[in-house]
Amino acid sequence: MDITQQVSTLLTTKMGVPQQAVSPESPLRDLGVDSLALEELRLLIEEDLDVDLESAVLTPQNSVGELLAAVHSAAA
Amino acid sequence: MSGGGGREAYAAAVTGLGLITAAGRGVKENWHRVTTSSAPSGVRKPPELHDLPCDFMYLVGDGVQESFDVGEQRLLDRFSQLAVLAAREAVADAGLLPSAWEGDRVAVVIGTANGGFVYQGEQQRVLLERGPRRVSPMTAALTTTNCAAASVCRDLRAVGPSFGLNTTCSSGTDAIGLARELLRAGLCDVAIAGGTESVCSRLLVAGMCKLKGLSTRRDDPAAACRPFDVDRDGFVIGEGAGILVLERPEHARARGARVRAQVVGYGASNDAYAPVAPHPEGAGAERALRAAMADARVCGADVGHVNAHGTSTPVNDLVESAMLHRVLGAHPLVTSTKAMTGHTLGAAGGIETAFAVLALQHQLVPPTANLESPDPRIAVETVRKEARPARLDCVVKTSLGFGGHNAALVLTRG
Repeated sequence: MDITQQVSTLLTTKMGVPQQAVSPESPLRDLGVDSLALEELRLLIEEDLDVDLESAVLTPQNSVGELLAAVHSAAA
Repeated sequence: MSGGGGREAYAAAVTGLGLITAAGRGVKENWHRVTTSSAPSGVRKPPELHDLPCDFMYLVGDGVQESFDVGEQRLLDRFSQLAVLAAREAVADAGLLPSAWEGDRVAVVIGTANGGFVYQGEQQRVLLERGPRRVSPMTAALTTTNCAAASVCRDLRAVGPSFGLNTTCSSGTDAIGLARELLRAGLCDVAIAGGTESVCSRLLVAGMCKLKGLSTRRDDPAAACRPFDVDRDGFVIGEGAGILVLERPEHARARGARVRAQVVGYGASNDAYAPVAPHPEGAGAERALRAAMADARVCGADVGHVNAHGTSTPVNDLVESAMLHRVLGAHPLVTSTKAMTGHTLGAAGGIETAFAVLALQHQLVPPTANLESPDPRIAVETVRKEARPARLDCVVKTSLGFGGHNAALVLTRG
């Protein structure tokens, strides 16, 4: 599974975001990912993808695409 | 009769009940089981308790988490899930519609003794084994003892006053008593009140084993909790939630609600004696009960039934029953439903007050399951073997908690 798929799966199976709502443009907060949920998601991604997102600057205003870019860059 | 600190008498209407326990899901199943079963069916030996001197407890079982969607699940630890399920049932039972109600006139008061103790333990392990970076940001948000109340508020859009409450094993009873005070003070029209507990924790049970509080009848766990029995040897922890909907009587009347019963008296006290043991003469429990009876303007002769704390520890049942005998006399029909539900700690008062309401409604006292050989030192009239029909106008619920917390409620027919 690639990074995009893995993150998308976490959003749907762990955060309860409907799959069809997940698109690169969607701001995280519009998917119900508030600041607390974002920190939970950060931990889940770190665990599942074995990456370090500690220094990635992310807020619920960021889009799914921006989140994915941060994960890609951490995985690089 | 004067009483209640010079205050006017006050009858809060009980218009809804919600129950989820090891005896069953929902009020109907619970009442059926506690009035007709001769033995509990909800005692389990979970792997978490493997090899402990008490390796069993009463569990609700599967299907709790599945009642919530994924988005809800991550915001609710199991003790909060149980509270939400019981509150939903109670509100529906009351015929109230959260989508339509004036939410700022709805209060929530829910007790729990241990809150998210299990999740806290899991995160402690994460901290020790994998370091602080792996600790969940949900640690505080899921585990503090206000979480059940806060979760019910969110779920039902109840935006009035709300409180998590902890008086250990008296929490549920105190929650209902204090909810009635909120109604009495005019701070709300509706109060959702009771208790919840889910603490299948190796750490907590190991500690309670060490203080010699729990039964060690490992060869026959279903018979271990046997309140008032001469062979009782300790309590057995249970999981569950019991929630009531209380209303200002005018509010219930105005909407034509069915009133299942009334809460007419509440008293609370502290033994200020020991961290765990009750006062040897039950002095604190007696003060709580007498205060509740004064508040209710009733005397011992009026009380037909007591749903007792009856934990099945040698000392509680002796102290409590002697106190009941002293305050009320020999006539009330005393029962403990804990042999069917386990001792659900902070939930016990909520669950057992619901049973007291049902006893009034059905004019039927549930038996104390597992009570085979009544302890000859216990002078009150216990109900055993089968449920006993009785003319009941007024019943009492008593609770005695670790920390010396005592609480009592007086209820009358609706």
